[in-house]
Amino acid sequence: MLEMDTSLKKRFEEAAAALKARLEKKPDRDFLRKTIVEKGAGSFLECKEMDSDMLASIVEKGGVAGVDGSTNSKGGIFPYVVTLQQALARHCNREEEILLSDAFSPLLFEKDLSEDDYRQYIKKNLSALEANAAILAVEEFKPRVLLIDGSLVRFKIEASQQWERLKQKALEHETLLVGVVEGISTGIISSTLEDAMPHFSYRAMDWEMLFGLLEMGEVLEMAPGLFKEGLRTCFARFSYDPKPIGIDMPEEQYAFLNQVKDLLFTLTPKNGRGIPLWLDIIDNKVRITDAMMEGLLNACLGEDYAEYIMAKRSKRAI
Amino acid sequence: MQVAGITTPIEVYVASRERKFRINELLIIDDPNQGPLVGEVVDASSYNRFIPLSVEHAFSDAHVVESLKHLGYSIDEDEINIAKVKLMSETSFPVTTGSAVRLPAFDEVKSFLMKGSREYGLLLGEIKNTEETAKTMDENLKGLFYMFSEGKAKKTVNVPFILDLRSFHQYPHIGIFGGSGSGKSFGMRVILEELMRHQIPTVVLDPHYEMDFSSSQEQIEEAENFKRHFCKFQIGEHIGVDFLNLSKRDLLSLLSAVSPLSEAMSSAVEVLHRRGDTYLSFSSRLEDLAQALELGRSRIENALKQGLEPQDMERFKRMKELLENYQNIPLPSVQGISWRLRRLQISGLFSHDIKPVKEAMLQGKLAVIQGPIWLLQVFSTYLLSNIYRQRRDYKDGELRGQAQGDYFPPFVIATDEAHNFAPKGRDTAPKGIITEIAQEGRKYGVFLVLATQRPTLLDETVTAQLNTKIIFRTVRGSDITTIAEETDIKPEEARRLPYLPSGDAFVSSPLFGRTVAIRVRFPYTSSPHTINPIDEIKNHRLDSDEKLLSLISPHLPIYAANFVRAVEDINKDSDEKYEVRTLKEALDALVEKGRLKKQKSPLGDIYM
Repeated sequence: MLEMDTSLKKRFEEAAAALKARLEKKPDRDFLRKTIVEKGAGSFLECKEMDSDMLASIVEKGGVAGVDGSTNSKGGIFPYVVTLQQALARHCNREEEILLSDAFSPLLFEKDLSEDDYRQYIKKNLSALEANAAILAVEEFKPRVLLIDGSLVRFKIEASQQWERLKQKALEHETLLVGVVEGISTGIISSTLEDAMPHFSYRAMDWEMLFGLLEMGEVLEMAPGLFKEGLRTCFARFSYDPKPIGIDMPEEQYAFLNQVKDLLFTLTPKNGRGIPLWLDIIDNKVRITDAMMEGLLNACLGEDYAEYIMAKRSKRAI
Repeated sequence: MQVAGITTPIEVYVASRERKFRINELLIIDDPNQGPLVGEVVDASSYNRFIPLSVEHAFSDAHVVESLKHLGYSIDEDEINIAKVKLMSETSFPVTTGSAVRLPAFDEVKSFLMKGSREYGLLLGEIKNTEETAKTMDENLKGLFYMFSEGKAKKTVNVPFILDLRSFHQYPHIGIFGGSGSGKSFGMRVILEELMRHQIPTVVLDPHYEMDFSSSQEQIEEAENFKRHFCKFQIGEHIGVDFLNLSKRDLLSLLSAVSPLSEAMSSAVEVLHRRGDTYLSFSSRLEDLAQALELGRSRIENALKQGLEPQDMERFKRMKELLENYQNIPLPSVQGISWRLRRLQISGLFSHDIKPVKEAMLQGKLAVIQGPIWLLQVFSTYLLSNIYRQRRDYKDGELRGQAQGDYFPPFVIATDEAHNFAPKGRDTAPKGIITEIAQEGRKYGVFLVLATQRPTLLDETVTAQLNTKIIFRTVRGSDITTIAEETDIKPEEARRLPYLPSGDAFVSSPLFGRTVAIRVRFPYTSSPHTINPIDEIKNHRLDSDEKLLSLISPHLPIYAANFVRAVEDINKDSDEKYEVRTLKEALDALVEKGRLKKQKSPLGDIYM
């Protein structure tokens, strides 16, 4: 392998060059910022660190809670799999947790599922589980702010019933719902600005456009109507990491964006990946590790059966 | 607390969210299959998964952590404490992971913490980190002595560390190792206090003049008084060597201790010293011979032929006789022996004997022998051989069934700077007797307590015989290596040696079968050396200021015009010898310190 096949090397170089060319075509930062504002696509806002009095006033109104979920599938080749899912909600100020979990396998379904269907099911089920945990959190903790790891949009799509209930409960208890999106997968900016940037012909993802565009502690508020109905999204950079994150809020609560962005900025480690620490802590607590799955599988199934369904691939020695 | 992770039959990890672990504390593991197992914490650590030690992570962001605290979440709550626990005895199977772990009650671990009873033991200090276990201890074991911490003496709350006196019969010798300032001298003092309390006859060689037990520690109200339990002897002043009883070997080592002897000198001593010699007879023989060698045969014979006073006649006859017998001895050798002998005589060594020491020992007292190290070396050789022989003769006689001679009790020999008395790779006068006692003393009930800051320099035969070792802070790598070789100290403990706080020590004893971490108790008496030299300078200066002030105050005010008179008056009233210049300097110094006022006037300065 040390001597790379020359034709392979050439093709690899071509592929890499394509990536590079795409990057080089990216419009200049200042131009992009100017265009965004001029075309009315969005506006830039600055965040301020909250002081302890401001934090105290949030605590007075109910404090901060967070929700995150985790999923892990283990076993052999489809459908010999077991999937475990958990959703955890925790309030900063309270010991007790809300932990919902579910476990299933393709073999439990009556009709035959395709692997893709199963994957869809996993996604939907996790969203539902998280939404349910969020509902319980709103009811029990009555927090002022409920941080949700992941976009609210996926709740709306994958668990619409629960989402409606969650929204209703949140409005009732005056809990601000905030989705924190780590991996932005939208492409709104480039589609909105298509006319203004003819030479930038391809549809760039939003994260690509925003990479390094925002200053630390800056939020790009998008104009209304660009996103799914009932939700507002903005992009933000809360740490030195140049990749932005997304913030989702229900339209009805959007007026509180100012307060929410300052809170998130305060709770985010400046040297980290830009996610509020509280969500990282919950993520750590809820995460289902491979070791845990393996242990459960061995315990419930017996080591002999576990071995039986285990894929050959997982026994690779080197 | 529970067992976590991979276990072995020797070692397990114990994790706890609530309780922090401390090194050396004992824990009980309730293994469902193997019953309760006792283990000792050898390493303790804490971990917070949200504050990892990594440059890539951001959780050291203090502001965020602080903000979370305001929101009610304290990140410290997520700390996990982990202890590495070594089992006291190996189990048949690895310990079951998940076994519950708890703190022991005293009775469960008594056999690991306490050997021997309080009545027959030396109370050296407390076993570290045993407060919780100590709470379930019998009342009569609680608060037996004081500990010194944060500048105060407080009653101990830990399990006491007791060194069983009766075990000396089996494991007779104690080594105390530790650098300066490690608490080694305190440890020695505590051992000696305990020996006095049990009235064990003890000889202490004290090169530092620090073994005085007459001043009680001020901080302890009910401090025991040891004034009647010890006697202090200074070589040459209170005790010495009885010349008459000196063997040739003793004499040779005495002389060589002053300054090494040449071969010619040694053989000269061998020939010249006779049984039954007193200091006088031996020294005058030396002088006569020296003079004879100087004069030469013919001049002596000539002198004898001339009429002489009867006294001189006698002397010249002696000289002639000596010359005939010892004409091969070179003059410089005789002179060399002579000055060495005189030096010993001047030190007072030959004007006393060791009777007072023996008397003190027979009364069960502690005899402190003080002197400069060179003299102490020779004298101790003589003293130790003498008392050891006496004890041996008595004991051997008893064994043979023919108890002869007076009773002489078992005893303890203690010394600091032991590497000076029995050094490695070099011969000194006392080395032979110390090695002998180290090897055979057990049989006769003669025990050693040897302290040194350089165990590496101590003779290996002796080191090997020190069964119980008390190890204080040691920094030197070579000494740590020696200690690790000579004791059952664990590598984790050896690594801690350079950082032990003063007064903390590891005790390695075959009796315990493990290393016990202790903190030496606060002695009841204080060493005369504990005053800080910097304070001493300050105090001395204050004292001399006071003295000067009281001296001149009757003569104040002093006018510059009649300075000479003032100097004369002051000198007359005291033994001082001031001159105008020195008095003026002294007065100016007092003015500078604000103790005296100086005023300008048309007639010069006025001191008032």
